[in-house]
Amino acid sequence: MNQLIDRREALRKTALLMGAAVSASAMAGILNGCKAAPDLNYKPVFFTEEQARLVSELAEMILPKTDTPGAKDVGVPNFIDKVLIQCYNKEDQDRFIAGLTAFDEESKMNYGDSFIYTKPEDQVTLIKKTLETAIAEKKENPTAKRPFILMAKELTMLGYFSSETGATKVLQYEPVPGSYKGCIPLSEAGNGKTWAT
Amino acid sequence: MNLNTEAEKNNTYDAIVVGTGISGGFAAKQLSEKGLKTLVLERGRDVKHPDYPTATKDPWEFENADKPTQEDLRKQGVQNRTGYTVKQSTKHWFVNDLEHPYTEKEGTRFDWMRGYHVGGRSITWGRQSYRFGDLDFEANAKDGYGVDWPVRYADLAPWYDYVEAYIGVSGQNENYPALPDGKFLPPMELNCPEIELKKSMKDKFGRLLTIGRVAHATGPLPHTPWRGQCQFRNLCSRGCPYGGYFSSVSCTLPAAEKSGNMTLSPNSVVHEIIYDETKSKATGVKVIDGVTGEQTEFYAKIIFLCASTFGSTFIMMNSISNRFPNGFGNDSGELGCNIMDHHLGVGAGGDVEGFEDQYYFGRRANGFYIPRYRNYGKDKRDYVRGFGYQGGGSRQGWSGLVAEMAIGPDLKQMVSTPGKWTIGMGGFGEILPYHENNVKINKDKKDINGLPTLLFDAGFKENELRMRKDMKNDAAEMLEAAGVKNVYSYDNETGVGLGIHEMGTARMGKDPKTSVLNKWNQVHACKNVFVTDGSFMTSAACVNPSLTYMAFTARAADYAVSELKKGNL
Repeated sequence: MNQLIDRREALRKTALLMGAAVSASAMAGILNGCKAAPDLNYKPVFFTEEQARLVSELAEMILPKTDTPGAKDVGVPNFIDKVLIQCYNKEDQDRFIAGLTAFDEESKMNYGDSFIYTKPEDQVTLIKKTLETAIAEKKENPTAKRPFILMAKELTMLGYFSSETGATKVLQYEPVPGSYKGCIPLSEAGNGKTWAT
Repeated sequence: MNLNTEAEKNNTYDAIVVGTGISGGFAAKQLSEKGLKTLVLERGRDVKHPDYPTATKDPWEFENADKPTQEDLRKQGVQNRTGYTVKQSTKHWFVNDLEHPYTEKEGTRFDWMRGYHVGGRSITWGRQSYRFGDLDFEANAKDGYGVDWPVRYADLAPWYDYVEAYIGVSGQNENYPALPDGKFLPPMELNCPEIELKKSMKDKFGRLLTIGRVAHATGPLPHTPWRGQCQFRNLCSRGCPYGGYFSSVSCTLPAAEKSGNMTLSPNSVVHEIIYDETKSKATGVKVIDGVTGEQTEFYAKIIFLCASTFGSTFIMMNSISNRFPNGFGNDSGELGCNIMDHHLGVGAGGDVEGFEDQYYFGRRANGFYIPRYRNYGKDKRDYVRGFGYQGGGSRQGWSGLVAEMAIGPDLKQMVSTPGKWTIGMGGFGEILPYHENNVKINKDKKDINGLPTLLFDAGFKENELRMRKDMKNDAAEMLEAAGVKNVYSYDNETGVGLGIHEMGTARMGKDPKTSVLNKWNQVHACKNVFVTDGSFMTSAACVNPSLTYMAFTARAADYAVSELKKGNL
C-alpha cells in the first residue's frame, strides 16, 4: 500500500520535473513494481533527476551507511554533481554521462530494469563486473582515461573522505600534529586508522 | 623630470629594493638593519603575517575537495602546468595568466609559475635548502660551459652560515664531500622504509641518503621571537600562521619593519631604471601603481633588483638609454640569455613489503635527499654535471583502493586500515647555461598594466637528455637493490621552467664582456645597481637555489653598505 503511494508519488515528481516525458524504462520500473524510485536528497544541476538517482544509488552502494554514515548522508551525490559541472571539461563530462548511460543499459539488459530499481545483490554484481572489466582495461593501458566506473568510485571516495565524517569517523584526522614521528608502532599512531591527510 | 624638488625629496631614500620574495625580503632586512632608509617596492598586493586566508581550513571547508574549477583553469591554466599549484587552498598565490601573459616561441615550451604579492614565492616555495660547493662553483671553469663563477665556496661559506642560522634550516650534517654541511636545527625523522633504503644505499652503492634540509623551525629561533615552530601540518603552501617555515612575510620583512627604516609599498610595478648619464649612475626607478595606473618615480643612492629572475631581467631590458641602448647594463649581450632551471619529472617508485605494524604520526613537509654522486670522484658519464634525488616513503590512503575490487562495507573497513607502504624518488638535474636559451621583450603583447611582456625561447639539449636516462635508471636500480617490489620508472614530458628554479639571465662573471654582474652582484657598468635574485646565477648546480640567493643577497648588501660608507657608490 505504502509502496504504491510512494511509487505514484515518485512518478508524479518525475513527471513534473521532466515535463511529463517520463522515460519508458522509469515507467517500466515503476509499473513492474520492483521497488520505489529512491529519494533524491539534493537538487541536481548537472545531472537529470534520473541520472542523479542512479549516481546517488551507485555512490551509496560504494560507500554505504553502516555504523558510520553513508555516501548519501554526507552529501556525496551533490558533490559529484557539482564537481562534474564546475571542474570537469566537456569531454570528461560527456565521458561520464556516456559511461553512466552504458552502465544503466547493462543493468536493463542483465536484470531487466534500471539500476535504481534492481535488487541490491544484482546492483553489487553489476558494479563488481563493471569494476573488473575497468581494472583489467586500466592494467592493459595505464595511460588511457579512467573508465566510468573508476571515475565514479574515485569521485565517491574523494567526496566522502574529504568530508568531515569521512575524514574523522572512518579515517583519523589530526589538524595540528605538532610533531613528526617517522617509524612507530601502528598502535601508537593515534587510533591506528589511516590518516585522512 | 617635471617633479618639483619637494616631491623629489619625499620620494628619495637611501636604498630601493625591488621585490619582496626570497631575495628582496633579505635585502630589505639587511639594508634597513644597517641603517639605510629603504623603500621596498612590491608589484602585487599586500600580505601580512599571519593573515593567510586558507591556512587553518580543514579539508571539508574547500569547495570541490580543493580541486580547481574550469573557470580557475581558464584564468590560471599556465600556472596549473605543475598540476599542484592551482587549488582552492593556494590559487591566490599564483598570477592570473590572462592579466599577465607571456609568449613561447613557436615549437617551444616554457613554464613560468609565479605570484604577485608581498612575499612572492617565498610563501609557496619548497623550502629545500642546500649549499652549493666548489664542485658547483668550479664546474663551468672545468668543463667550459658558460663562464667561470667569480667566487668560490670559501667566499660564500660565512654567508651560508649566517643565512641558515637566521632563517632556521632543519637538517643533518653528514660530512659528505659532494654536499657541504651547514648550521642546522634538529633534523626531521626518516620513516621506516626510508631508514632501510638509507642503509641499502650506503652498503650497496656507497651513496648517501639524508633527511631533506628544509627551512623549517624544528627548534627555537630566539632572534625572531614572533616565529613559532613547525607544527607538521604540511599545509605550507597556504602560508604558515605559526611561522613554522621561512618566508619573507614571516621572517625578513617583519625584521626590516622592526628596524624602523623600511617603507614597504605594495601595488608598485617597477618597469624602468632611471639612469643619469652625467653621473654614470642609476638615480631611481619608474613605478606604475598596479591599482590606479598612476605613474611615479622614486630615487635612491643604491638599487637592489630582487624582482625574480625574469622580473629583474624584464626591468633591465625595458630600461633603454643612450648609454644602454640594448638594455640596462647589457654591454655584454648576455642579458636575457643563459636561462637555466632544474629538469625533473623523472624517477622511480615501488611497493615496500613489511612494516605492516608500523606507521607515522604527523605530516612531515619534507622527504629524503640523495645528493649528487655522478661525475664525482672517479665516476665518469657520457654527460657533464649531475643530479640529486628527492623522495619519500608513505603508507597508502584511500586512493590506493580506487582501482581495486572492494566496494560497500568491505571498502569502508579496508580504507580505515593503513594501506601498503610505497616509496619513490624524483631527480633534480642540472641544466647547462646555453647562450641560446633566452628571453626577450615582446612589445606586441601587453599585460594588464599596459607594459610589454616576455617571449621565451628555451629547451633541453643532449646533455640534459642523456642525464635523464641515468636519473630514471639509477632510481629504479637503487630501489630494486633495497628490495622494493613492483618498481616502476618514469620520464615525463616536461618544459624548462617547471622546476620553478629559473636562473641565469643576468649572470655574474669576471669579464664584463661576457657577463652582466661582477662578483658582488653589482652591474659591471653601473656600480650602484645590485641584482641578487636568481638572474645572477652563473651555473645552476643540481640543488635547490633559494638558500644561495639569500647568501649572495646578504653578502651583496653588506658590501653595498660598506661601499656606500666609503663614498664609492
